[in-house]
Formats: sequence, C-alpha cells, structure tokens
Amino acid sequence: MAATAAELQTAHGSGSDHVDSHGHSDHPPSSTGLDSRKLVMWAFLASDTMFFGALIGVYMTYRGRSEAMGMGPYPYDIFDIPYTSVSAFVLLMSSLTMVLALAAIQRGNNRGLRVWLTATALLGAIFVGGQFFEFTMFVREGLTLNSNMFGSSFFVLTGFHGLHVTVGVIWLLTLVWMSLRGGIDQSKSLNVEIAGLYWHFVDIVWIVIFTLVYLIPYENVGNGEVTHSAEGAFHFITNAIRSLPF
Amino acid sequence: MASVAYPTPQSQQGAVTVQKPSSTSGLVSWLTTIDHKRIGIMYGTSAFLFFLLGGLEAILIRVQLARPENTFVDLQSYNELFTMHATTMVFLALMPMSAAFFNYVVPLQIGARDVAFPRLNAFSFWTFIAGAIVLNLPVLASLPGTFTYIFQQIVSSVPVLHLPWSQYVPDQGWYAYSPLTAPMFSGKEVDFWVLGIQLLGVASLAASFNFIITIINMRAPGMTMMRLPIFTWTTLIVSVLIAMSFPAVTIGLVLLAIDRLAGTSFYAPYALVNGQLVTTGGDPILWQHLFWIFGHPEVYILILPAFGIISEIIPVFAKKPLFGYGVMVYATAAIAFLGFGVWAHHMFTTGLAATPTAVFTAGTMLIAIPTGVKILNWTATMWGGSIRFTTAMLFAVGLVSQFVIGGLSGVMHAVSPVDTQHNDSYFVVAHFHYVLFGGTVFGLFAGLYFWWPKVFGRMLDERLGKLNFWLTFIGFNLTFFPMHFLGLAGMPRRYWSYGEQSGWWFWNSIASIGALMIAGSILVFMINVTRSMKSGAKAPADPWDAATLEWSIPSPPPVYNFLEVPQVTHVNQLWYDKYGDDHGGQAITPKPLNVIPAIEGDDHGVHMPNPSWYPMVASIGMLLLALGILIPNPHIQVLFLGIPVISLLGTVIIVLGVYGWAFEPASEPAH
Repeated sequence: MAATAAELQTAHGSGSDHVDSHGHSDHPPSSTGLDSRKLVMWAFLASDTMFFGALIGVYMTYRGRSEAMGMGPYPYDIFDIPYTSVSAFVLLMSSLTMVLALAAIQRGNNRGLRVWLTATALLGAIFVGGQFFEFTMFVREGLTLNSNMFGSSFFVLTGFHGLHVTVGVIWLLTLVWMSLRGGIDQSKSLNVEIAGLYWHFVDIVWIVIFTLVYLIPYENVGNGEVTHSAEGAFHFITNAIRSLPF
Repeated sequence: MASVAYPTPQSQQGAVTVQKPSSTSGLVSWLTTIDHKRIGIMYGTSAFLFFLLGGLEAILIRVQLARPENTFVDLQSYNELFTMHATTMVFLALMPMSAAFFNYVVPLQIGARDVAFPRLNAFSFWTFIAGAIVLNLPVLASLPGTFTYIFQQIVSSVPVLHLPWSQYVPDQGWYAYSPLTAPMFSGKEVDFWVLGIQLLGVASLAASFNFIITIINMRAPGMTMMRLPIFTWTTLIVSVLIAMSFPAVTIGLVLLAIDRLAGTSFYAPYALVNGQLVTTGGDPILWQHLFWIFGHPEVYILILPAFGIISEIIPVFAKKPLFGYGVMVYATAAIAFLGFGVWAHHMFTTGLAATPTAVFTAGTMLIAIPTGVKILNWTATMWGGSIRFTTAMLFAVGLVSQFVIGGLSGVMHAVSPVDTQHNDSYFVVAHFHYVLFGGTVFGLFAGLYFWWPKVFGRMLDERLGKLNFWLTFIGFNLTFFPMHFLGLAGMPRRYWSYGEQSGWWFWNSIASIGALMIAGSILVFMINVTRSMKSGAKAPADPWDAATLEWSIPSPPPVYNFLEVPQVTHVNQLWYDKYGDDHGGQAITPKPLNVIPAIEGDDHGVHMPNPSWYPMVASIGMLLLALGILIPNPHIQVLFLGIPVISLLGTVIIVLGVYGWAFEPASEPAH
C-alpha cells in the first residue's frame, strides 16, 4: 500500500497515526511527543555540522597558503563574486519555496505541494548546475584539484556541499513522485517537513561557506612564509577575536 | 487522544489480529532480523571472534619480544601485527562488544519493544561486518604466510607461503600518521585500512543516531531522564560522542583517500612532479589534528560503556543504590564534553606553541576530576554494603582498581614535559593498556558475566568464572605493569627487536608470560561458555536480585520484550517493585516478582515489525563500493573521473537497498 510508503520504520510500525479496529493507536506516544524520524534528522544534522566543520577547518587552515607560497591561481584572480552571488541567491530562494511546499501540504493542498517541491528541486538543480559551470571555468583557468592547496581545499569543500544539494534534489523529486502516486496526504506532512529540515540546513551551510570562502577578502601575503597548520588556525582564531567590535 | 492511550496487548482483548512473520529460526531469520536482541547477539559474537584474532596478533607480538634479537616473525610482519592488533581491538572488538550491550540491554532497560529504527540497526550491524571484511581480507590472506614463516624458524625446510593480497596488510600503525600513508612511502595496504575504517565509521554513526533517539524517545511511561538506568545514560552519552567525533576522522580519511587516489597534497608537504620534489604547502600535522579530534573522544567511546556496565553491577552486588546517581550522570557528561577539548595532548611532541600546550595540559588535567568522582562514587556504593563477590562483581571491582592505575599515568601524560619523555615509549603502551584492558575489557567481561543469564537463559559457572577473573587479573598485571619499567628504561614502542645489551629482556619475558596467562584466561571463559550452553543451570528471570527492568521479564526475553509496558516511578524501579520503601528509603517487606512467562510461538498479538532484507542489501552495496576501489577491475571514464565497475554496481545496489527500504511496508497490513 502506498499509504505506508517512504517512512523510516519505527519499532511500533509505521509512523502514521493509524488506529486499528481495536481502537488503539498503531504506535505508542513517544517520550518527547515528537516523532522519532524528526528527531533522528536533527541528530544527523548535528553530526553533519561536524562534517562541514572539519572541512571548513581544513579550508581555513590552508587559506592564504597558496598566496604565501606563490603558487597560483589565487582566489581573487578566479572568483566571480557577482556570478556566485546570483547562484547563492537562487539557493536561498529555494528555502522559501520549501517553506511554501510544507505550508501547502499542512493545509492539505496536494497540488501546491507538488508545485512548490518541484520549484525547490528546480532551484537546487540550477544551483548545482551553476556550480558545475563554475568548476568548469576554474579548471579552464588552471585551478584543478591538485594545482595548489587552494584548489584542493576549495573543490573538496564546495564539492561536498554540492553533493549534499544533489542528494536533496533527488529526495525532493522522490517526494514529488510519491505525491503523484497519492502517497502524501495532510497527515503525512512530516515526510515533507523532514526533507525541509535537511534542505534548510544545506542552505545555511552555504551561507557560511559563501562568506568564508568567497566574501572575506584574501590578503596578498606573498612573503614566502609557511606557517604551521595549527599555528595558522590559531592565528586565524586570534585575529578573528581581535577583529570583534567589543 | 493517541498521546494518552497506551496500547494494551491485543491478547488481553481476546483477539490476535496480526500474524508474525513465518521464519523465526534458521539462517534467513538471522540475516533478515531486525530484533535488537538478535542483533546484539550477532554484534557480541563477531566482536568476540575479532577479540580472539586481535589477541592472537598480540600473542605473536609478545612471543617476538620475549627474548632479545628474536626473529620469530620478520620485521614487516611485526609492523603488520601491531597495526592490526590495535585496529582490530579498537574498532572490531571493543566498540562492537559495547554495541552488543547497547543493543541487547538498552531497550530492555527503558521498557521498549525495540530500538527506534530497527532496520537502521540491522544496517549498522551489516555495515560493520562489511568494514571488518575490508580491513581483514589481507590479514586472512597473510595468515598462512605468517604461520609458515614461524614454522620455518623451527623446521627450516618449511617453505613460506605467499598468497595474493598478503602484501596488503596495513602496517602504518593504528593512527596512520602522515607521511607513512603517503603514496610515496606506502602501497595498497593503506587503501584497505582507509576504506575499512570508513565503512566502520558509517556503521557507528548510524548506530549512534539510533541509540540517541531510542533513549530520548522510547522510554517507558514515567521514566524521566533522571530515572534512566545509568548504563542507558552512558549509552546516550557515548552515542553523542560517536555522532560528534566520527565526522572529523571521516573527513580526515576522505582527504587521505583523495591524496592517495587523486594526487592532492593535504598531508604531503612535498610532491613528485616529473621526477622533481616540489613543495606543496600541505601539512602532515593536519592529519594528526583531524585524527585526534576523533581519537581522543574515541578513548571515552571505549571506556564509558564499561563505566556504565559496572555502575549497574556494583549496586546490585553491594545491595545498595548507586551512590550519587545524579553526580554520576553529570560526571559522565563532563568527561564527554571535556574529551573534545584535549586532543592535542597526543601531539605535544609535534611542537605546538606555548599557549596551546598550556591549554591542552590544563584541559587534560580537568578530566581527572569527573573521573575521580566516579571512582569515589563506586567506592562509596560498596562502602557499608553487603557485598557478594560474584565473577561479575570481581571484574567490576577489578576495573575500579586497575583503571585508577591507568588514570594516574594518564594524569602524568597531561604534563607536557613528562609526556615529551614518555611519548612513543612503552610507558605509554602500559598506560593505555591499563585504561583499555584494565578498564574496558574488565568492564565488558563484568557485563558478559552479569547479563549472560538474561541473554541465553543459562547461568555461567561461578567457579570457572572466578578462575577466569584471577587468571585475567594476574596475567594482565604481569603483562602490562613491567611495561612501565621498560618505558622508563627507554624502550620505544613498535620496535621489532632489541639488543642483548639493552637490559630490557627480563621484563619483556615476564610480560610475555603474562600474555600467555591472559590467553589461558580467555580459554577458561570459552570453556565456561561451552559448558553453560550444554549443561548450564537454567537462569531465573532475576538471578542477581537486580534493580533494572530487564530483570522483570523471562530469561531469555520473548521477542516482544514486555507484554505489559512497565510504568516507572523510581530510578531503581525493579528494587522498588520488589521491596518498596517506607518513604524514608528503608526497604519494607519484599514482594515476589511477577514474571509473565513467555509461551513458545505465541506473540500475544504484540505487533512487531517484519524482518527485512534491505538493510543487508544496502550494506553489501557499501562493501562492493569499497572493494571496487581496492581490487583490479575495469573502469568507466566519465569526464575526468574513472569509475570502477564494481563500485558503480555497489552504488546501484545501495540506491536499490535504500529505496526498497523506504518503500517497504513497515509491517504486514492488518487484516
């Protein structure tokens, strides 16, 4: 039956509030009153934060390293800030359409759900396509995965994020397909909500990456000094604290 | 409201509406099981087998070191032995044995019928097996070679066997420092290690999410967080540690794999370009940071479950509630929290600046406070209690005494000048074996003797158990205490052999005798288990007069665990049910425990989820994905990426497994 589809199964059967002929619920109330599937998504996102934290840490450790060593291409030579800003805007707008999709199904509007989910997936796909084009341009200008430390850390970090968006797009399209088969009604809005949690998280991570990688200006050091990576991270943190307004 | 009405078992209403899935025994039922109890038994069994393998590796190491200038195993094999001994013990023996207890005990302690996500649980187990296979394929291939080499030492005419893949046994040490893992200095063995650990990481992460949600969301009515049994608390905290620390090493391993497969230089300060060495700006120390940001919490991932186990055992056999339950919970949380801020004490000799060194020294010393609190609480629990020295209690008290020794040498290492002296010497080897053997292994054995009757419905023999304990205790101290002396005398760890003049042979031979004693104690345990299986006394539901809910149901528990979901009002609920109190904490007349017997083949209409193939299918996909990168097979060129065919097949199987899983009905539709 499609009605029980696409749910992580809990020990007490499906996550729906199905009440059987004996008049009792299919699953007992949870200790917190929240659905386990929603909680596990939050736990996953906490862990995923550490994944991105580690990658961002690696990027910040090597930030400025290529300039210090005189090994181009450098970020300020190669970044097209207006172009990436537009694709960042596209991704942030997809969070809005995601909210509209959830609001639609919570009101029982199946058509609205499909329209806004498709829009979200489309915006996500535009972002990934834009990233693919951007990568292609960078490679053409000489920045590859192993041309210098900037290239390695940049492609791994943004590529890991792009992979997240791609998984999200596939997930959203799966939800559209389920909805077309009548698998998502008002009582199953949680399916959409959980996908939404993931989607918003991936958007928020992009805000951090976009700021740290693209927006904060790169100093052209060029004195040939290579600092110890731990010291580099330490200096970055102390400099950041010093630059606080208080 | 559904949130108030708790389901009553259907049998009490005189109607059984749902048929249980047909296969409850046989191989298929184990391959498709999603029952937390069966998964727990499978975790425990495989962990014990890997414990034997890791132990065999340790014995070979000790035989090699038993006398100076020994050539019992060759240099390369020795590197492989210590690498695989550590990797096997940490990832394939101790962690999964803890996971066995999480799986079996936690749902029973909180009065649940299973974990929150039973199929995810099965996926964790099968992915763990996949990772173990990847790690140990070369080991299996090299075993004949190692043994024929050893026989050649005795009978010179025996030829040494070289099987394909036997040269791929990881030999870079369990923390795989760069540049030992750089392509310039290593071969495919590092790829086996990287992908094996990566799969084990996926398994651990999935399991950690499952247990966090199970404990937060599946508690019996009335069981508030501060009424959780203490072992469940440590499981929760360990799961949070896993969820937050494994990402660092996963990213570290991803970067290492990219370094090795795509030629980047994350950990390599130099690269070979057209036969010329060029500086790249990469930094080998970055690996150490990423590894130890995971590696130090990992130490607590290994020890806290053992702490939780003995925190259950000591009150039961001292017949007193745990002293300072709340403080114990906060101490565990404090250890876990502080554990994230001390990783660089493993790296004092890399030349950190003065400030980080001071910060990490102070942070490390702070951890001694909550740990000391725990030692005090266990001692105070026993103080004035009527103590029964069963085998489980002996192992628990053994932990308290032996862990203190390892803890104290740990405080010594917190001081960076001292650490600089001890680093990479046998003093460190002595320290972490006192923590991981004197702590974790003792705790796990205590847990095995404590919960064995519940799991298998038969008692273990106490006389053999006590022999097991004393052999372990004496053998352990004989093996590892002399290593303190060896370390201070300057013996570096990981040395294959040492000279006659070093003066190290005496304590080394003592340590080797101790290692054989430990092996003997494990043999006694296996005899005990075999005898218990064949002719052990039938275990009652509550053989120890214990305090937690798992002892209120039959041994072994029925598939649905609790026929009636328990109502919880107190922290030691079962003691309260049996003895009650006079509101002043004094026990009043004991009440007999009312155990509802399990009837074979009758599920009382309790609605349990169906077995499923999909978790194992997804795990097989993960295995193929990893193997495709490791073994020679055709590649398909997509843009700049060469994709191995087997990996592609693995990916397809993962996708099929996940979609099959998501769209599979959770349980058979009701009639």
